[in-house]
Amino acid sequence: MTRAIAPPAPSSAAVTARLPRRVYVAWAARLLTAGVIGAVFFLPVLWMLSISFKPPTEWLEYPPTLLPKEPLVGNYTFLFNPGNPEGAIAVMTGAAEPVIPAFVNSLIVAPIATLLSVSIGFLAAYAVSRFRVGGNFMPFFTLTTRMFPPVAFAVPLLLFYSAVIPRLIPGLRLYDTRVGLILMYVAFTVAFALWMTKGFIDAVPRHIEEAAILDGASRWRVLFTVTVPLVRGGLAATTLFVFILTWTEFLFALIFTQRFAITVPVQVSHYAGAIGRFYGPQAALGILASIPVVVTGYLIQRHLVTGFTFGLVRE
Amino acid sequence: MMDPPPIIRLRNLRKEFNGTVAVANLDLDVADGEFICFLGPSGCGKTTTLRMIAGLETPTVGEIWLRDQRIDALPPQRRGVGFVFQNYALFWHMSVYDNLAFGLRVRGIAPAEVDARVREIAESLELSPILRQRAARLDLSAMQRVALGRTLVVRPQVLLLDEPLNNFRPGLREMMRGELKRMQLSLGRTMIYVTHDQEEAMTMGDRVLVMNAGRLEQVAAPREIYRRPATLFVAGFIGRPPMNFIETQYHVEDGRAFLGHGRLRWEIDTRRDAIEHQAPSGRVIVGIRPEDVWPAVLAVQEREPAELTPARVELVQPLARKKIVDVNARGVALKMVVPGAFPVRAGQTLDVVMDRRAFHLFDAQTGRAID
Repeated sequence: MTRAIAPPAPSSAAVTARLPRRVYVAWAARLLTAGVIGAVFFLPVLWMLSISFKPPTEWLEYPPTLLPKEPLVGNYTFLFNPGNPEGAIAVMTGAAEPVIPAFVNSLIVAPIATLLSVSIGFLAAYAVSRFRVGGNFMPFFTLTTRMFPPVAFAVPLLLFYSAVIPRLIPGLRLYDTRVGLILMYVAFTVAFALWMTKGFIDAVPRHIEEAAILDGASRWRVLFTVTVPLVRGGLAATTLFVFILTWTEFLFALIFTQRFAITVPVQVSHYAGAIGRFYGPQAALGILASIPVVVTGYLIQRHLVTGFTFGLVRE
Repeated sequence: MMDPPPIIRLRNLRKEFNGTVAVANLDLDVADGEFICFLGPSGCGKTTTLRMIAGLETPTVGEIWLRDQRIDALPPQRRGVGFVFQNYALFWHMSVYDNLAFGLRVRGIAPAEVDARVREIAESLELSPILRQRAARLDLSAMQRVALGRTLVVRPQVLLLDEPLNNFRPGLREMMRGELKRMQLSLGRTMIYVTHDQEEAMTMGDRVLVMNAGRLEQVAAPREIYRRPATLFVAGFIGRPPMNFIETQYHVEDGRAFLGHGRLRWEIDTRRDAIEHQAPSGRVIVGIRPEDVWPAVLAVQEREPAELTPARVELVQPLARKKIVDVNARGVALKMVVPGAFPVRAGQTLDVVMDRRAFHLFDAQTGRAID
């Protein structure tokens, strides 16, 4: 009698129970591999999460343990209320600022910069893709900002912001302002947004737009009712990437802000000073800082997986 | 009885792109309700002509008339023509309903009217059950009907189709051709259909317009094109396997006229005058279709020995119901078609018959047919 591989029993529980062993082994191996890869990516975050709940005594403990022995939320409350440190958390002048202003700044700068950058980049990409604006050279030229190490731009731009601009347009201050930071971020990310969206626009056949034009739709109407829905996935991905870039940007935020326009990455760096490092609150702030990005990613993931149903040309 | 006036008239139509002539001085009348095919190799100007009629390209010179209105200056949506693209160009992300309604909505037609017209068209094209489906998920036949429906809903007078079946695999193509033709017949709408596939044009069109390098070679019903090609190009383009061509020289000997090539020659009597007038150089290209070259043993009537030409078989290509045989007849390479059961081998010699009445004569200089 042959061993039954596919039993006739209708209930799924019975079917699963009788699958051959090698199927289980393969499944377990896949799960293990996925687990390992996932752990490698997620371990730093897990560690950060762990430190954020540890008291100072455990911050530098060796051998390191993942789970805190005496978990506390003091690190988090310290962020919002540095004047009343709990327990052994010392007060340092640099770290005596509450984090809310930094969050407010970041929540203003990053989304606005992202929206501006992606909008301008998308429209530029459409022009380059459909009308060949700029010929062969101009679109390539927009990438030059990304060809240099960003820090090379730091000093010239600092001079530009603090010396040249106030002279050109009296009364306009860009240094240590949110507007100044937004403009900076847009300038540096718009080329990226252009090239990323251009790829998606190129994938939309011109015929579809021509068909709409034949019906009498204006170019703008074609853009918004035909092209944009078809590149939704690409736009979502680009928005997320640019948002991550602007939200986590540290170097330029550090150089171009001082007091008023400090963003969250800069604030995180304030927790390390000459006397020591506040690992706990720093980790806690890091966790909090990642929340907006995670939320954004979650909200638009539906659009990221629009499904490229290019099912027209069939064989 | 007068013919009804043509629905589309092209007058002296010309299109240049940066100095290259894509379409040269085209004149054409298209009859109302006709299915006319524009046929030709890639780059011959057929699609450019179609796009000029649609309004996607502006003619460099010339006029386009729809009935009694000149349309070449009008934007596409005001011309009263519908355009079906290769790959149909449906709006994938929209439902069938929205695809059909798009043109009407852009024209600002009231929603109630839009709904009525969309449903009417959907009904006639059997699209009613799938009105809510997204266009990307349709099967090919449905896509074709939606593409047609989208153009029909704005009630065009003429439909323009740009190689819509181009990307389909062969079996499916034949089926779609039949559907399209049936639809055209039932709708009664004039259709201008561009294709590079001669089988398609010859089976679907009421008339076929053959183009080459921007020039109109011939426009006539398929039978006419096949039996009396007007130019060398048409003769060589239509028909598979292609026509055999033999370069001959016309000469008169003892009062008798001959066309000769090497050791082959044929006496000419009925078309002497035509040849002398239309081919002054004396160089005449003789065309004979492979179907008109027969092994002597299969010829219907007994032939005089003088009419037989000995030939040596070079290559035999068997197909399902026929064989294509390459022969060498006194130095001239010819293809002929024999029934599939006919025994023939490479290296064999046999006599072939070429009926002079099946000869197509062309002036070697101009390429035009001699009639």
